[in-house]
Amino acid sequence: MSADSVRMAVDSQRCIGGGQCEMLEPEVFLVDDDEAVSSVIGSGVLPRARADVVVHRCPGAAVSIVGPES
Amino acid sequence: MSPTAAPAPPLAPEIADPRLYLDGIPHERFAQIRAMPGLGWHAYGDNGFWAVTRHADVREVSRNPAVFSSSIGHTNLWDLEADALEARRSLIDTDAPDHTRLRRMVAGAFTPKNIRRWTDTVREITVELLDEFEARGGGDWVELVAAPLPIRVILAMLGVPVADADYLVELSNYLVEGTGDTQSIPPDAFGNTTELRLLPFNSPASHALFEYGEDIRAKRRAEPRDDLVTHLVRAEADGGRISRHEYRHLFHLLVFAGNETTRTAISHGAMALAANRDQWQRVLDDRALVESATEEVIRWATPILHMRRTAASDCELAGTPIAAGDKVVMWYASANRDEAAFADPFRFDAGRADGEHFAFGGGGPHLCLGAFLARLEVSVLLEEMAARRLVLEQLGEPVRAASNFVHGVLSVDMAPAAGSSGGPR
Repeated sequence: MSADSVRMAVDSQRCIGGGQCEMLEPEVFLVDDDEAVSSVIGSGVLPRARADVVVHRCPGAAVSIVGPES
Repeated sequence: MSPTAAPAPPLAPEIADPRLYLDGIPHERFAQIRAMPGLGWHAYGDNGFWAVTRHADVREVSRNPAVFSSSIGHTNLWDLEADALEARRSLIDTDAPDHTRLRRMVAGAFTPKNIRRWTDTVREITVELLDEFEARGGGDWVELVAAPLPIRVILAMLGVPVADADYLVELSNYLVEGTGDTQSIPPDAFGNTTELRLLPFNSPASHALFEYGEDIRAKRRAEPRDDLVTHLVRAEADGGRISRHEYRHLFHLLVFAGNETTRTAISHGAMALAANRDQWQRVLDDRALVESATEEVIRWATPILHMRRTAASDCELAGTPIAAGDKVVMWYASANRDEAAFADPFRFDAGRADGEHFAFGGGGPHLCLGAFLARLEVSVLLEEMAARRLVLEQLGEPVRAASNFVHGVLSVDMAPAAGSSGGPR
């Protein structure tokens, strides 16, 4: 992706399995069926603006931006 | 007054009296409070609360559970005695780490991916109910569509016989009464012997719902199936990941929240579509609007009017100092009409694209567990109404619940409009 892309992470201790990340970015996040914890799937990379929305909407404040794409 | 004493806070107008809500949400009063500097104070007898009414402030409270606790005091307006608080504690009244553990126990069933698996079931039920509504030429929308749709879906998920749907809706109606001033059933109804103050919503119907949950639990222990109750029974057996008390209250919560809230959304949604035919016509002309129309129906309805938190420590919100132990009440009903968050908030706009509504809560860890299920039910209903080009006409005023907690509609008569599917030609 572009230079404005960032890498995402989920803090599994804070995650409540609310599914907002999966709703917003199903290519990057998936909530596990059994433990109901979200994790990063695929490239784990999002454009900055979309990454900010996921962080803003995460009910458990568990999603974060860990750095630039590479 | 000493020079350092804080000035007296502005007093909020009356918003807590359940009888006010018989005429609908007192929006003008909430607008007054939103315009106040800081937060409004409501005396609520001698046990007052801070009224949090602006969208941004509701978000702040919701997303700071370490300061604004769900486990202290109560999550409704009134305080509970310590023993009642423990006896009534559910997922709603917990903070991390208990909340995280309990929520994850059931959250896997309510993720977007797993909720989508119920689409066909929701559609079958919806088509059946709309067929019946049209065949009768209309009637009470709550009884014919809004109540049966969500209860049948949540019972299917729980693994409860659909034949018991009417009984569980009846119990749910009594629970809503319990949020108001009067109850129409005696304390010993359903064989209840528990003090009412120890029961959710002070209602003997809670006793009946607990008993019902126990009965299903026993059946699934003896004969496991692929359903949510069996999942919880396994979690209880598996090293006690969930206690018996927690099971009882989780079952109660899933039945109540799983039917009452979406029923309310579908009731107000029908009224909004009948009153704003131009907006429904937009959806009929462009089915891609179902998604935004679904969110707008849910914002418009705001089925749960408020939730309360209690300050765990001294803090400040919107410039208002708050003392540890103060009650802080988030009025979603007000946040969802906040001019600062929504353009023309009192307009029902099927294509609305601004703002995150707070009908599922203010965006914190207590975000509605069933949010994706509610969205699925409302969106499938809109799709199926659009597919048959059903246009609703509201006949007379709704009968509303006397509750400051649930934006309930007890009944509202609807008919297919002239020229509409199922309507007079």
